[in-house]
Amino acid sequence: MDHLSIYLKLGWRNLWLHPMRTILTVAALAIGIAALSFLSAMDDGWMQQIKTNFALTMTGHIQIHAEGFEDSRKLAQRMNAPEQVMNVIADMDGVRAVSQRVRVSGLASSAGANAGALIYGVEPDAEQGVSRLSTFIATGAWLPTGDKRAAVLGDGLADRLSISIGDKLVLMAAVPGGDIASEVFRVRGMIHSGVMDVDDMSVIVPLTSAQHWLSLGHGVTDIVIRADSFEQVSALAGQMKSALAGRGVEVLRWFDIDPMAQQWADFAEAYTWIVLLIVIIVVLAEVLNTMLMSMHERVREFGLMGALGVQPSQIFAMVVWETVILVLIGGVSGFVIGGGLSLFYGERGIDLSQFAIAFSFMYMDPVIHPLLRADSVLRILGASLFGAMIAGLIPAWKAARLEPASALREL
Amino acid sequence: MADALITASGLTRFYDSGELKVAALDGVDLSIERGAYVVLAGRSGSGKTTLLNMLGGLDRPDSGALSIADQDLLSMSATDRAGFRLHHLGFVFQSYNLIRVLSARENVAYVLQLQGMDKKQRFALADQWLAKVELSGFENRRPDQMSGGQQQRVAVARALAANPDLVLADEPTANLDSHTGESLMALMRKLNEEQGTTFVIASHDPAVIASARTLITMQDGQISSVKVM
Repeated sequence: MDHLSIYLKLGWRNLWLHPMRTILTVAALAIGIAALSFLSAMDDGWMQQIKTNFALTMTGHIQIHAEGFEDSRKLAQRMNAPEQVMNVIADMDGVRAVSQRVRVSGLASSAGANAGALIYGVEPDAEQGVSRLSTFIATGAWLPTGDKRAAVLGDGLADRLSISIGDKLVLMAAVPGGDIASEVFRVRGMIHSGVMDVDDMSVIVPLTSAQHWLSLGHGVTDIVIRADSFEQVSALAGQMKSALAGRGVEVLRWFDIDPMAQQWADFAEAYTWIVLLIVIIVVLAEVLNTMLMSMHERVREFGLMGALGVQPSQIFAMVVWETVILVLIGGVSGFVIGGGLSLFYGERGIDLSQFAIAFSFMYMDPVIHPLLRADSVLRILGASLFGAMIAGLIPAWKAARLEPASALREL
Repeated sequence: MADALITASGLTRFYDSGELKVAALDGVDLSIERGAYVVLAGRSGSGKTTLLNMLGGLDRPDSGALSIADQDLLSMSATDRAGFRLHHLGFVFQSYNLIRVLSARENVAYVLQLQGMDKKQRFALADQWLAKVELSGFENRRPDQMSGGQQQRVAVARALAANPDLVLADEPTANLDSHTGESLMALMRKLNEEQGTTFVIASHDPAVIASARTLITMQDGQISSVKVM
């Protein structure tokens, strides 16, 4: 501890032998770390939005299907006794809400046009616990309880069908036996979620009407679960898999359902590593130069220390500590700036609505809220220190290897 | 010799000078008793500093044997030699003696800290030694706030505070005016007499040579004469 105090004292004072050089290095470090912290918070904010929007717009955190349904999308592969599954999962810890759905591809027709559609039969009340669909109502209303002919559709699809509130909508789809069945509904509402797939393709009708129209009995295709948090999803899905083993069902997490979502998660992870790599390079480039200059100026001082009996390992540690102090000042300052900006814009949001159409493919809101996460903070500070250690090792190694006699002869 | 502090025999050191090998030390035999006050004199290039570096474990001979305080310096690793210097030797160099960012007190206390002495004790001892070299009141000054002579006194205080067996000084007066140089030598001689610490000083300064109790003159890497004054 006593040795550490002398390393820190010498390190701190040596840095201020050339205040302008130290200030410039610290400023460059601070700006670099601030920018990277803010970028990282933007990335985390984006990812949180994508995850939340993807899961809560339609998919839910976890879905349970009859085994193979997600690949085949055929009504023949449905759960005929969903209540048996519901009884097992409904009371599990971490389950916030559960709802059942029928999902089928079909054709939607108005008086003047036809369009392909993804048709969802949902439980009007329970659905509000697992998704945000009911909150996206732009015109009209959500499915009224007891109205068996009510339909809500995406506003993009409504445009394509030239259809308005109160108009008749005919839906056609293949039933399990292969025949085509049709049913007439009335448009009660239109949704605008900002997600093109949902707005341009979706038609939502009451579950019981869909079951009757498609001759499914009490069968459903999806049981949709909302967990208390994203962090619980994998553990909860594992628990459900174990509890439902041998019942012919598949348990899929939100990122299992859409490979794109998984790719985005992977991309975000790769992006994080790229940010960390840049942090290390920034720290290395800034600090190595400063420390090498400092080391060359102090060759005689290191020689003197060696002559006095300071061990090479102690000289090594002293230079490394000096580097760590430099990076800690720059890194923490940068992080305070970047973190402050992230918190400020996390509250206020960054409006990128002019790019909203492009973002809607990716379940992103046009207003980004940077998110400061503890693990990202620790990773950036860790990367800074790692960079500092690497940058400090070269001059420290050189200083430790100096022969006192020859170092003392240096001019 | 029963109370010899330094025993050297056949110390030889060559330096490469282009294709030639130049003998900086050429078979030096030496014996110095504890408590001696020895001045190594000779022209530049005569081998004074090379011999002093050997005695300080800062350089190694190509051949020969060297023992200080009954320890074979040449069989030690670099790490062991550093430890030996810390506990047995003190140094005063021609210039750049002090660590720039430490005050006079901290410079003196630095070696004591490396030896493991606690803060209160080492600062008290540092202040005592600064008083002995007549630098009371200068404890908190940094090297750039002191004259060359004051800096050399701090170096002497540092060298002696650690209670070494041997103090090695290389041209300690070279950058000082004659009055300050004489004053420094008087101080070192006084400390030698009072503390009994062995001093070996390399110099071609007449004032330093005049202060010698034993004068060893070097020429072309060899000892040409030894005079007890």
